[in-house]
Amino acid sequence: MANTEHYVVIGNGVAGSEAARHLRQRDSDSRITMVSAGKLLSINRYELPKIFSSSADWRDFLLHPPEYYDEQKISVRRNTWVSHVDPTNKLLMLHHREPLSYSKLLIASGGGRYIPESLNQFKNLIAKFGTYEEAKSVCDALPRRGHMVMLGGDMIGLDLARSLVRNGYKVTVIGEDHLFWPHRVEAEQRQKFVAVLQDMGICVRTDVAITSIQRGDRNRPDRRIILDNNEVIDADVILSFCGLMPSLAFMAGAGVDIERGVLVNPQLRSTDKNIWAAGDVCQIWSPEENQYRFYYGWKNVKKMGRIAAFNMTGADESIDTVQNEKLVTTKSGEIDSPFWQYG
Amino acid sequence: MARTAKQRTDIQIAICGSAGDGTIAAGDILKQAMAKAGYNVIAFDVYPPEIRGFGKCIARARITSEQVYSLKSESDCLISLNDSHAIPHVSEVCKFGTVIYEDTPVSTVGEGAHVSSHLSPAHLPYGVAFREISERITSSARSRNIVAVGYLAGLYDMPAEVFHEVISGKFAGKSKELADSVGAAFDAGFQTGVDTFRLHFDRIGASGGKGKQTDLVMMSGNAAVVRGCLDAGIDAFFGYPITPATTIMEMLAREMPKHSGRLLQTEDEISAIAATIGAGYTGARAATATSGPGLALMTEMMGLGAMAEVPAVAFVSQRGGPSTGMPTKTEQSDLNLAVFGVAGDGQRIVLAPTNVEGCYKCAGKAFEMAEAFQTPVIVLLDLYLSNRYEAVQLPSKNPFAENCSKTPRKNASPAEYNRYKLTSDGVSPRAIPGETGRMHTVTGLEHDERGRPSDQPRIHEAMSVKRHQKLLPALKHPGVTISKRFGDKGVVDVGVLGWGSTFGEILEAMIEARKEGIRCSAMKVVMLSPLPVGPVKAFLDDCNEVLVPELNYEAQFASLVTGATGRPVHRLNRVRGTPMSVGEILDQIRQLVGHSGKIAAE
Ligand SMILES: Cc1cc2nc3c(=O)[nH]c(=O)nc-3n(C[C@H](O)[C@H](O)[C@H](O)COP(=O)(O)OP(=O)(O)OC[C@H]3O[C@@H](n4cnc5c(N)ncnc54)[C@H](O)[C@@H]3O)c2cc1C
Repeated sequence: MANTEHYVVIGNGVAGSEAARHLRQRDSDSRITMVSAGKLLSINRYELPKIFSSSADWRDFLLHPPEYYDEQKISVRRNTWVSHVDPTNKLLMLHHREPLSYSKLLIASGGGRYIPESLNQFKNLIAKFGTYEEAKSVCDALPRRGHMVMLGGDMIGLDLARSLVRNGYKVTVIGEDHLFWPHRVEAEQRQKFVAVLQDMGICVRTDVAITSIQRGDRNRPDRRIILDNNEVIDADVILSFCGLMPSLAFMAGAGVDIERGVLVNPQLRSTDKNIWAAGDVCQIWSPEENQYRFYYGWKNVKKMGRIAAFNMTGADESIDTVQNEKLVTTKSGEIDSPFWQYG
Repeated sequence: MARTAKQRTDIQIAICGSAGDGTIAAGDILKQAMAKAGYNVIAFDVYPPEIRGFGKCIARARITSEQVYSLKSESDCLISLNDSHAIPHVSEVCKFGTVIYEDTPVSTVGEGAHVSSHLSPAHLPYGVAFREISERITSSARSRNIVAVGYLAGLYDMPAEVFHEVISGKFAGKSKELADSVGAAFDAGFQTGVDTFRLHFDRIGASGGKGKQTDLVMMSGNAAVVRGCLDAGIDAFFGYPITPATTIMEMLAREMPKHSGRLLQTEDEISAIAATIGAGYTGARAATATSGPGLALMTEMMGLGAMAEVPAVAFVSQRGGPSTGMPTKTEQSDLNLAVFGVAGDGQRIVLAPTNVEGCYKCAGKAFEMAEAFQTPVIVLLDLYLSNRYEAVQLPSKNPFAENCSKTPRKNASPAEYNRYKLTSDGVSPRAIPGETGRMHTVTGLEHDERGRPSDQPRIHEAMSVKRHQKLLPALKHPGVTISKRFGDKGVVDVGVLGWGSTFGEILEAMIEARKEGIRCSAMKVVMLSPLPVGPVKAFLDDCNEVLVPELNYEAQFASLVTGATGRPVHRLNRVRGTPMSVGEILDQIRQLVGHSGKIAAE
């Protein structure tokens, strides 16, 4: 019997591209379509900090060359936003008013930066660092030995911070609430890890809060940060690293259960039998913790892509909901995290 | 990033839309602006003969900092103004080339009907809200095409000023409001392009290296023909519309009254050529323009022109045939008709220019030759050449002679005047009807020196010789290229012999072959009748292998050459309605090098 399955994957991050790869391996005849808001094919996001130390262009960050998609018969719709999902008719509506039908859907739309409410009014002065384009723009805006101020200091940000200081840039992390996110670090441990960051050359300011952000004066760095102790910090670029917000606006009204992310069981299936979710966008039921929770990081996200693909093609695998999530220091005195383990 | 002098620019843009979308107008602004900025531009528009709202239009322009001779088979950028028309052309975009399209269609499109769903993984997508921008800036969606050109210019770092100049020039005769609104639409598109993050690697900087040009003119092959006619002092034109020759008549209809010329649209092609020959008979510089099917109808009158030795010029722009064939597709399959299509031995001059500048030269020179050799002259174009645009530099001084007629001696007595006198060069002094004392008979019948009908063997033989011999000096006519060799001198591995519009691709392929270390040269033959047998033979002598690429099935030029020289050649024939690709010719050259010395006559 002819296979008429059409797998649609929203997102071409790690979760989406890993899922597409396994879908093809397990079902050689089906139609597979990846939809991505970005203009590029899947890139290796974890290598983005390298943009500061080499003259590489986006081609050097590609996970697979363009030919791979032709060979694997995976169609990639780029620069294409999903604006709405209609599970009843198994249809996506794309932002340019084109419908796209699916038989099985994987939501792997990841997350965008989270900016705390108090700083939201300054969001236009805070740069983004999620895509290649954003990373390149930050790189272009940052002069040699320039100063980057990081609001929050989550693990994604700290990864960037360590490679910036290694490349001779100055980095200041401001704020306490999101430091080391998504790790939950006990108060007594926190000082130890902050000291390690400072030893690495990252300036950490947990004692102050931001009152306002302004454009810099002429001939001064591009941004000014006014702190609650009236101190003024000049910065060339400001980034927010306060954790991620799942990208899910298109699921509004779809009738699929959502809390902060798409709620899925450990098999990554949502409350709609034809819809799965994987990666930063999903909240997985943890029987051990008796709650839905996020599992971040390359290893988890990649595994989720594989498991979703397996289960969409008839398997019954579950994600391991018990994990080592401890922040540690290495023998050489640096910070390490399972979240940073990649490759 | 500004372009430095050393960077080589070679970018081909294709704009695709439906008739009525302003595709050709957008392409026109682009090519004019780029020529003004000092770039070499070759452009080719394809549009349907149908009315607004139907049919596909494509404007292609290759913009280069160095001289090139043809369009590329792949474009670096495709702009879609109409997705259903653009979708089949997405595959013609090169790896890491860009596709620019409408991101905010006015209504829901069907699944798979949006161009973005047809991009290959190696294409770079740029979705733009052309319609919304146009509506916001001009209160109408009509300037989508201008927004698109603006976006392209911004995205590729093109200089905005030259576009402003071209837009002001184009709308000079219209209301200021309209010109301002078009300018604003361009600017809005431009800014959007500038603000877009670029993933592509090509840039078209401020200047093409030649500096800002004021004397370079972007013109199509047909427009160049018209300029040639006007500079040669055309007096009369008779024509019947037919794609792809129609624009010659349209442009002449606008221009000729300004130059005291007369133009008449006749009821058909037979009348058009009859009137042209009639006007030529009276001493006027007269022409017609048609395509293959029209020339087929004209053959009888062409014979009369040859027999009665009347100057007349016919511009024939070939399209896919036979019969009505493919009116909007290019082909080179009327060579046999142009060279041989006549009852009896009715040789005439046939010129086939290879580029736009050649169209200008051949058009003007055709009038000189028609007069000097008292014969119909066919200028053989094709759709690809007629509609192709190139940046050309026209001579500052009119290069065409006013009168090339051999006139009777002033004081010769009426009794001495023989209209068809046998002379050493075969050309008889020609009197114009009405000249006192120059009475003579003109007929389609074979005739003696006075023009009186005769079927005497001696006379027919002498007159046949005369009518053919008199054309041979045309091979030395001043100021026009009859044939020319390019590339390596002396003995070569492969020689490529070509004619007409295909020669641009031939040149490019030859240049590429030489870069690969193949000893290669190319020869263009502009005069197809009489054929410059000497230079062609000399060229063939130098080539280990000879390739003749042409856009027809029957290898018409290859057969002409083989017949005239007795030498074998390799044929490369394509009849897809599109120009031949450089790659195809290059592949053949490579193969021939491998085969050198082994291939017998085909
Ligand atoms: C700069 C950066 C560095 C990081 N470094 C590390 C690291 O070193 N180690 C680590 O473990 N984790 C790191 N992370 C976190 C890690 O990226 C995530 O856990 C993981 O990449 C998430 O993968 P994903 O496939 O779920 O989503 P993403 O990689 O975020 O991909 C989401 C995809 O969905 C698409 N999308 C979103 N919305 C829509 C829509 N409406 N329509 C269509 N497409 C849509 C996007 O275009 C994108 O392709 C980093 C994150 C960032 C931003």
